Amino acid sequence: MNHDLHHLAGAYALDALDADERRAFEAHYPSCDVCAEEVDAFRDVATQLAEGVHTPPPGSLKASVMEEISRTRQIAPVVQPNVVDLTERRRRRVAPLAIAASVVLVALLGIATLGFNRTSPTEEVLASADAVVLSLDGTDGSVRIAWSDELGRAAVFGDGLPITDDENEYALWAVTDDGVAPAALFDVDADGSVRAVLDIAEPDPNGWGVTIEPNGGSPQPTGEILFLGTF
Amino acid sequence: MDSATTALVAAGRGDEEAFGRFYDEVASLIHGVVLRVLRDPSMSEEVTQEVFVEIWRLAPRFEPSKGSARTWASTLAHRRAVDRVRSEQSSRERDTREHEKQDRPADVVSEVVIDRFDRARVQHALAELSDTQREAVELAYYGGHTYREVAALLDVPEGTVKTRIRDGLGRLRNEFGVES
Repeated sequence: MNHDLHHLAGAYALDALDADERRAFEAHYPSCDVCAEEVDAFRDVATQLAEGVHTPPPGSLKASVMEEISRTRQIAPVVQPNVVDLTERRRRRVAPLAIAASVVLVALLGIATLGFNRTSPTEEVLASADAVVLSLDGTDGSVRIAWSDELGRAAVFGDGLPITDDENEYALWAVTDDGVAPAALFDVDADGSVRAVLDIAEPDPNGWGVTIEPNGGSPQPTGEILFLGTF
Repeated sequence: MDSATTALVAAGRGDEEAFGRFYDEVASLIHGVVLRVLRDPSMSEEVTQEVFVEIWRLAPRFEPSKGSARTWASTLAHRRAVDRVRSEQSSRERDTREHEKQDRPADVVSEVVIDRFDRARVQHALAELSDTQREAVELAYYGGHTYREVAALLDVPEGTVKTRIRDGLGRLRNEFGVES
C-alpha cells in the first residue's frame, strides 16, 4: 500500500483523491519526507492555478462575511501538548491493558491536513508510515481506529459514545483469523468523546470491534458489539 | 511576509480589521477558485462566505513558517468547493431524479472579470504541458474531479491519470518557479 501512496501527492494536492484514499494519504505523508515535500510544492502549484482564475465576489459579500465573523469564535491556538512518554510506558509492558493519553482534538478535523501539529500521540500513530485508518460501523456515535503495526499502537477517535457507569469500561477487540482477542480498554470523556493511544499486543489484526465490559475487561466479549469493522 | 500573510497573522489574534484587509487581498483568489469548480454563482457565493468564516475560525492555527496565507486559504477553498461538489453529487445520485439543469455551460468564467495578467501567466504555463497532462490537471483541479473520474472521462487507466497529474504538476512547478 505504501508504495502506491507515494504516487498520490499530485492527485492529493489537487483534491483529486476519493475520501478513503485521502484519509490514507493524510495518515502517510507527514511522516514521509518525499511525499511531504511534494505536497508542499504541488500545493503551491495549485495556488498558482487558482491565481489564474481570479474573480471578485459580489461587493456585498464582504459585509456578510464581516458580520458573520464578528459572532464566530476562533479556535484555540496550538499549544505544546503534554505528551505522555509512551515509549517509557511501553517498556514497562502495561499492555495490553492500555493507556489513554492524548490531548489535542484537532487530529481528524482536517486541520491536521494543513500540516499543523504533528506531535500529539494520536498524530504520531496517524503519521506512522504503515498506519491504517478504519471507520467502524455502529449506530450510536462514531469510532475510527488508526493502527500502526510497526508501533504496535492504535489511536482511537470516538465521538458521541454512550457514557459508561463506574463499573464498566470500553473494550477494543482485535478481530483475528482465530476469532476475537482482547486488545485494550479505554474510557470516554464526559462528552462521549475519546482520543486515546492504546498499546496493542495482538499482531496483525484483520479488524476491530468495540464492546462495553466490566472494569478490567473480559477474555471474550460479553457485551453487545457496538462497533465493528474489518480491513 | 506578504501582506495577506501579515494580515492573517493579525487576524489570528482576533483583529477583525486585519481580517478585513486579508479579505480584500484574497477575495478574488478565493471566489475565483470556488466559482471555477462549482460554476453556480449563487452557490459559489455561499461557499466563498463559508470559506472566509472558516479561515477566520482557524486563523489562530495558521503558521506562516509553513507556507503563505494565499496557499493556505486557496487550499482550504478548493477543498471546500470540491467537497461541496461531491456531496451534491452523492445526494443527486441517491435522488434518482435527473437534475441536468445543474450542468451549466463551460464558459461561465469568461463572463466575469478575470485578472488578465495572472490568467495569461497561468495559461502560458499550462501551454507548456503535453495535451494529455494539461487535460488531466485541468479536469482534476478546475473540474473538481477525482483522478478516477478523470480516468473514466478520458477512458484511460487510473494509473495513467495519476502519472499525468504528477508529471504535469512537476512541470508546472518548474514553469512557476515554485520553491518549496
